[in-house]
Amino acid sequence: MKTIDEINDKIKNGDAVVVNAAEMVNIVAENGLKEAAEEVDVVTTGTFGAMCSSGAFLNFGHSDPPIKMNKTFLNNVEVYSGLAAVDAYLGATQPNENPEIGSSYGGAHVIEDLIRGKEVELKVEAYGTDCYPLKKLETNISLEKLNQASMVNPRNCYQNYAVAVNSTDETLYTYMGTLLPNFGNVTYSSAGALSPLINDPYFQTIGLGTRIFLCGAQGYIIGEGTQHATEADRVNGVPVTPSGTLMLKGDMKKMDPEFVRGAAMPKYGPTLYVGAGIPIPILNEDIASRTAISDQEITCRIIDYGVPRRSRPIIRETNYAELKTGKIEIDNMEIPTSPLSSIKKAEEVAELLKKWIQDGEFYLSSPIYKIPSKGCTVKPLEIKKPSLLVKNIESKPAIIVHPSDEVKNVASKLVENNINHLPVVDNKGKLKGIVTSWDVADAVAKGKTLLKDVMTKKVIIARENEPVDVIARRIDKYNISGLPIVDEEDNLKGMITAEDISRLIGENQNKKGGE
Amino acid sequence: MKARLRFSPSIVSKTIISDTIRIFDINFNILRADISPKGGNMLVEISGKQANDSILHMEEQGIQVFPIKKVVKQDEEKCIDCGACVSLCPVNAISIKDDWAVEIDNQTCIGCGFCTFSCPTKAINVME
Repeated sequence: MKTIDEINDKIKNGDAVVVNAAEMVNIVAENGLKEAAEEVDVVTTGTFGAMCSSGAFLNFGHSDPPIKMNKTFLNNVEVYSGLAAVDAYLGATQPNENPEIGSSYGGAHVIEDLIRGKEVELKVEAYGTDCYPLKKLETNISLEKLNQASMVNPRNCYQNYAVAVNSTDETLYTYMGTLLPNFGNVTYSSAGALSPLINDPYFQTIGLGTRIFLCGAQGYIIGEGTQHATEADRVNGVPVTPSGTLMLKGDMKKMDPEFVRGAAMPKYGPTLYVGAGIPIPILNEDIASRTAISDQEITCRIIDYGVPRRSRPIIRETNYAELKTGKIEIDNMEIPTSPLSSIKKAEEVAELLKKWIQDGEFYLSSPIYKIPSKGCTVKPLEIKKPSLLVKNIESKPAIIVHPSDEVKNVASKLVENNINHLPVVDNKGKLKGIVTSWDVADAVAKGKTLLKDVMTKKVIIARENEPVDVIARRIDKYNISGLPIVDEEDNLKGMITAEDISRLIGENQNKKGGE
Repeated sequence: MKARLRFSPSIVSKTIISDTIRIFDINFNILRADISPKGGNMLVEISGKQANDSILHMEEQGIQVFPIKKVVKQDEEKCIDCGACVSLCPVNAISIKDDWAVEIDNQTCIGCGFCTFSCPTKAINVME
C-alpha cells in the first residue's frame, strides 16, 4: 500500500503524518483501521527502562610510549580490554572495584558521566611487549578525547516482560526492584502500548539497519538481541512472556544525558536506563492494526520471584491497563504496583522521535534483513554437575532437644557435643525452634530455666529439595552457621552447616583438579 | 504541624512529652523515634488548639524543636519518574500523576527512608 521511500518523500516535503503509538489506539478506534492505515505514515514508539545488557566500545588512542591495555579501569570500574591494545568494552552492570561503593557507582554511571561530558579517570596496567613497552598509565579522559565511543547493547527493548511479586516472608532485592514480603507489592517493567516491539510483534518492519532513537541520538538496530525468542504463547499477536530482543548501536558522542541514566537496583547491582524509540512505517493495514494495540490488550504474567530457580511459579495473568491503575488483586488482596521503567520518559521518547520526523530531521530506513519472527528459542545452561540438593548431603543425625527441657541440660548438650546450636522438636519430631549458646547465656542472665521460654521460634530452615547453593546464599545472607533441614511436613531431617557446604565445595574442586 | 524533636542526654529520662500532652490537650502522633541514653530524635505530628503553646513548653523544658515542611526531598534532576518507590511507601505518600510524574506528599510522609534506599537513581533524600 505504501513504501518506505514514499514515506521518506513525505517527510522531506513536511507532509508525513506521524503519531505516537498511544495516539494510534484512539485514531484506529475513531476512524477505523482502513482510514487510519491510509492516513498515518509513521507510528513512533518509546521506552525508558533498566536495560542491564548494555555497554560501550571505547577507543582511547595510543599513548607515547604505547601500552597494550591489560587491566583497565574507568573511575575505578573495570572495563574489558582483551581486544587489541587500546580498545575496551565498558559494561553497564560492572560494579565498582571498591566494595564499599559497589553498585552505587558502576559501569552504567561511567557511561552517564561520559555522556554528560565529565572527565573520567583512566587507570591501566599492562604486561609490556616489545611494541607496547609501557606497563602502567594514569590519566583523565572525556568523551571528546576518545576516538570512538560506540554504545553497543547486546539485549535491549525486551518484547514484554515478567511482572514480579514475592510470596516469601522476607524482603527481596532483585533486578525487578525491591519486592516486599507476602505479596506486599508488584513491579512491572514495560511501557505497554508504547513499547517498541509490542507494536510490531512479528517484526514486519524491524530489522538490521532500522534507524531508531537511542539515548537522544539517531542509532541503529544491528540485529536481534541475545536471548531473542519467538515461540512463546501469544495473545493479540503479542508474546505473554519476555520474547523478542534487539541489539542496538549508537554514537555516544551524539547522545543526550536526558535519555540515558546510570542507576542501581539496591543490593542487586548497577544497571543502565536506556531511552529507545522505534519508528514503525505504516505500510499496510495489518501493520497499522498491530500498532493500535492498547494496554488492555497486552497480556503479561505475574511471577513469584520468591523462588530463586530458573522456572518460577506463575501467580496469574494480567495486562498493562490493570497494572497501570496502581493496584492489582491477588488472592482477594489489593496489592500496589510500581512501574520500574519510566512511562513519562517513554512518552517523551516517542514524542521527540515524532518531532524529529515531522521536522525532517529523521528519515526511515529499510532493514537489510528482518528480525526473525519464528524458530527462535532460548536454551538453558545445563551444568555438567547437576546442582546438588540438600537431601543429597550426608548429614549426621541431628542432636535434638525438646521445648520442655531445662536450660542447664541444653547447656551440657551443647558443651558435650562441642556445637553452637541445637534444633528444638516436639514429640512428633516437628521442628519448633532453635537454641544457640547465646540463647542459653541469655537465659542464665535473665534467670529463665525452661527451653521453651528462651528458644528462637522463627527459624531459618533448609528444605530437602532446595539446591545447596541456595542454602549457601542463605547462610551468607543471615550470617548464621547452620540451619535445620525439614521435609514438607516440617519434620526435622538433620542439620546443614557452613562447614558441610565448604567441605562439599572443597571436594568438588579437588575432583576438578584431579580430572 | 510536623516537627523534629531533639533531646539531650540529660532530659531523656524526664516525662516531658506526656506532661505536655496532658497540660495542653494536644494530639501528639509519633512518626519515628530513636531514643537512647545518648539522647534522642523524634519525628512527630502535633495538632490541637494549644499546639503552639505546647511547643513553647517543650522548648522551655530543654527539647529542641525544629518545625519541618519537608520530610524528604525529591531531586528533580536525578528523578526519572520510574515509579519504583510508589508501591514501597508504607503510608501511600507517593503517587503517580496523570502525566506519569512521581509526586511525594510531604504531609503524609513519615521519613522512614525505605524509598530512599530503593530508588535506582538515589533521587530521594531524607531531610535532616
